[in-house]
Amino acid sequence: MATFMDVNLVRYLCSCGKRYPACRLYLCRHCLKLRCSDCVQHEVDSPYCPNCLENMPASEAKLKKNRCSNCFDCPICGHTLMTRATSQMMANPDDPGKSTPKKMYYMACSFCRWTTRDVGLPDRVVANGGWPDEDNADAKRINTLLESYRAVAQREKAEKERKKYVKRRSHAGFQDKYGLTSVAMKWKIQPAVANLSIKEKENEKVPSPPQMVEPVTDFDPLPPEIFTEPVQLEKVTHLTHRLAAPEFQPAETVDLRPIHKHLLVRRSLRCRECEHNLSKPDFNPLSIKFKIQLIALNHIPELRIMSPATFTPNKETVVTFTLSNPSVYNTVVKLLPIEGETDTDYMTAKIELPKADLVLAHHDDTAVYDDSSKISPEFKDDPRVIVFRRANKLGFVAKVTPICKSGDVKVSFQMKHEFRNTAAAIQSEDKEPKLEWLQQQVFVRLGRIGQ
Amino acid sequence: MPLFEGLSYSDDKNVYIIDLGSAYTKCGLAGETGPRCIIPSTVKNTRTGQVSRIWDYNSTAELHENLKELLSVLIFRYLLMSPKDKRVVVVESLLCPSEFRDCLAKVLFRHFEVGSVLFAPGHVLSLLTLGSACGLVMDVGYRETLVIPVYEGIPILKAWQAIPIAGKAIHRHGRIKSQLLENAVVKTAEHQDQPVATVPESLTEEILEDIKVRCCFVTEYSRGQAIQDVTLRGASASKLPKLPPAVEYPLDGSRIVSVSGKIREHTCETLFEQDDDGHSVAALILDSLMQCPVDTRRELSENIVITGGSAMIPGFFHRLKRELDASAAKPPYRDALGTKGFKFLKPPARENYTAWLGGAMVGALETLPSKSLSRDAYLQRGRLPDWCCLDQDMWADDHAVLRR
Repeated sequence: MATFMDVNLVRYLCSCGKRYPACRLYLCRHCLKLRCSDCVQHEVDSPYCPNCLENMPASEAKLKKNRCSNCFDCPICGHTLMTRATSQMMANPDDPGKSTPKKMYYMACSFCRWTTRDVGLPDRVVANGGWPDEDNADAKRINTLLESYRAVAQREKAEKERKKYVKRRSHAGFQDKYGLTSVAMKWKIQPAVANLSIKEKENEKVPSPPQMVEPVTDFDPLPPEIFTEPVQLEKVTHLTHRLAAPEFQPAETVDLRPIHKHLLVRRSLRCRECEHNLSKPDFNPLSIKFKIQLIALNHIPELRIMSPATFTPNKETVVTFTLSNPSVYNTVVKLLPIEGETDTDYMTAKIELPKADLVLAHHDDTAVYDDSSKISPEFKDDPRVIVFRRANKLGFVAKVTPICKSGDVKVSFQMKHEFRNTAAAIQSEDKEPKLEWLQQQVFVRLGRIGQ
Repeated sequence: MPLFEGLSYSDDKNVYIIDLGSAYTKCGLAGETGPRCIIPSTVKNTRTGQVSRIWDYNSTAELHENLKELLSVLIFRYLLMSPKDKRVVVVESLLCPSEFRDCLAKVLFRHFEVGSVLFAPGHVLSLLTLGSACGLVMDVGYRETLVIPVYEGIPILKAWQAIPIAGKAIHRHGRIKSQLLENAVVKTAEHQDQPVATVPESLTEEILEDIKVRCCFVTEYSRGQAIQDVTLRGASASKLPKLPPAVEYPLDGSRIVSVSGKIREHTCETLFEQDDDGHSVAALILDSLMQCPVDTRRELSENIVITGGSAMIPGFFHRLKRELDASAAKPPYRDALGTKGFKFLKPPARENYTAWLGGAMVGALETLPSKSLSRDAYLQRGRLPDWCCLDQDMWADDHAVLRR
């Protein structure tokens, strides 16, 4: 089965015009169109830690900067750090002469052997977490600056809104003519007073400009050792180590700190047209099930090339395909040629498809264990077209005549098949699912022209 | 309690700040003191495994696919927030090609369906981190060094100066590679020495960059002049200052290459060598000042801000200051410049994310919605406003949309 080796041999045309193998497509049950990961809306579903598999609400994840508070990565190799326990002799506070053993914990990388002791971090008394986080030394400066900008921005916004208001008020002036002075006055005065008071407050607050930093006139020269002492490469960090902690960017290995493990997310996919979910994972990160999973492989018949063939130009070759039915209903498939396709990018051969309808048996989970391959009598197959039939699968032959001199033999045709829309059936219960006819364009790369 | 805090905070922190640099992409959320991640601006093709840089594109279609890929990594690996209807601040260079901006806007608005995008020039944003409105900003990045003076928050566009000499010139196409190929020797475990030139494929971009970061430095002014005398002006090699010791650099588990003191000290001279037009990184600042109105020069020269990852090489600032002082005392500038010495401002951030931090500040302000381009406005107009083609209709449209 060539398709097992290379899923890209048989590709289906997605509704967005790209071609993908069936395993990478989704079928929207509401639009009844194929969708690929490129033409659906990806959404972040639930963040979780890939190490301790603890999921956390999105708001909490945001607050923790998308990092797990308990799990750490090695700053050198990125492997997950392990907690190690040791016992240390501690001086007994009650009896200074004696010392008692005490459990202490440190972190070590089981891959590259880095430990928190390497960088001089003292051991911890508790096993989980509690490692001090570094603070950005400039955080205070940045925040005061940001506060002052915020105040200015607020004022700018207020002023803009006031302008809007002033405009409206100028119209209100006309109302005097009609004897509405008192009402108009009320309108006029109140906002004006309000505005003034805000303005005064702001005048006090805003123009305190952020304190300027002292300009630097000279910088430290290079340390003189750099010209004489050899560099100890093992003490200088790589660029990737530095960028792993963007705010600190330690240049020396002694400044490396354990890195909080970054969270991962489960994504859900949504159709852009009808906004229905195409894929929604379970909330629990331990579960690999999906709440909704509309992968195309579960809904449309899958075409595969059964055996690879070699081709000679302008000579008819018989190719065997298999079709399998993922649906629990018998499905009729019609294969239709594409007339007048001249684009040799997709079509380098003529294909003679079976004229008759192909009826695929329904998918039955138990049939896999049934190896008495008896042919069910309900199908009357033409043995010249249908080569074999097993459970929900059938093999059929088609004649292919390459029209190119060399290179890949590619064919393209339409596959029209029945589809029972179970989504509609849920809405109106105890009814047979509605029968739809779907049409997919299929692109097949059959093989190469032999020498 | 933390949950509650999270809920109340959640509104103003949901702004993406993205700085797509030529070498590294900085990305994070508004109002924070540092980016969430700094990752290489590259995408890996899932089928072929080939890594390609997003700025090295042959067609807009390729760029479109790559940007889609990179942004989805940023959003779903690092930011972990659904992009729909989010606000985005893009930190860009004023010299960013329109093709790139248009493509980025298309990806953000049409593919990720973000709510609004603000394209903000990195040089102005860098100044914002200092709370000052005037300054001469130099960005020593990966592909180019760009100087733009900013006066009262407005970039003086006629005075911009750029040279294509920055981080890339040092390691990728520059000295480190050629000198290693020329005379370095690889030692293997079997004690067989072979010249690097026989195994050029082992000098990958990453290794060259790593050698630059871990071994090289910008030497002092006097030594630098002596080196330039020898390498450029043909003085005798005996005048060369004593080289710093070589570094045994492990290429992989079994091979070691010796990075000579010459490579360590001489490579970064690329930045300060004046080319035929007299351009060097230091001369850019002076040339830019000369283009500025005379009454702004003093203020600008006393508010110099240096950003960009390549400025983080040890010794860069010290050397730059000396170069500026020395060049300013020489003829073309001595009489015309009209400044009194140079002063620098130190932003509260590492050089490689200074512009990003400015973006994070803009993104946290209430005025962000009124300053950025909304999705509706973009979809209606179909293109992006651009400073280099201000056409009146476009702005009229903009206001009409805003009013609605």
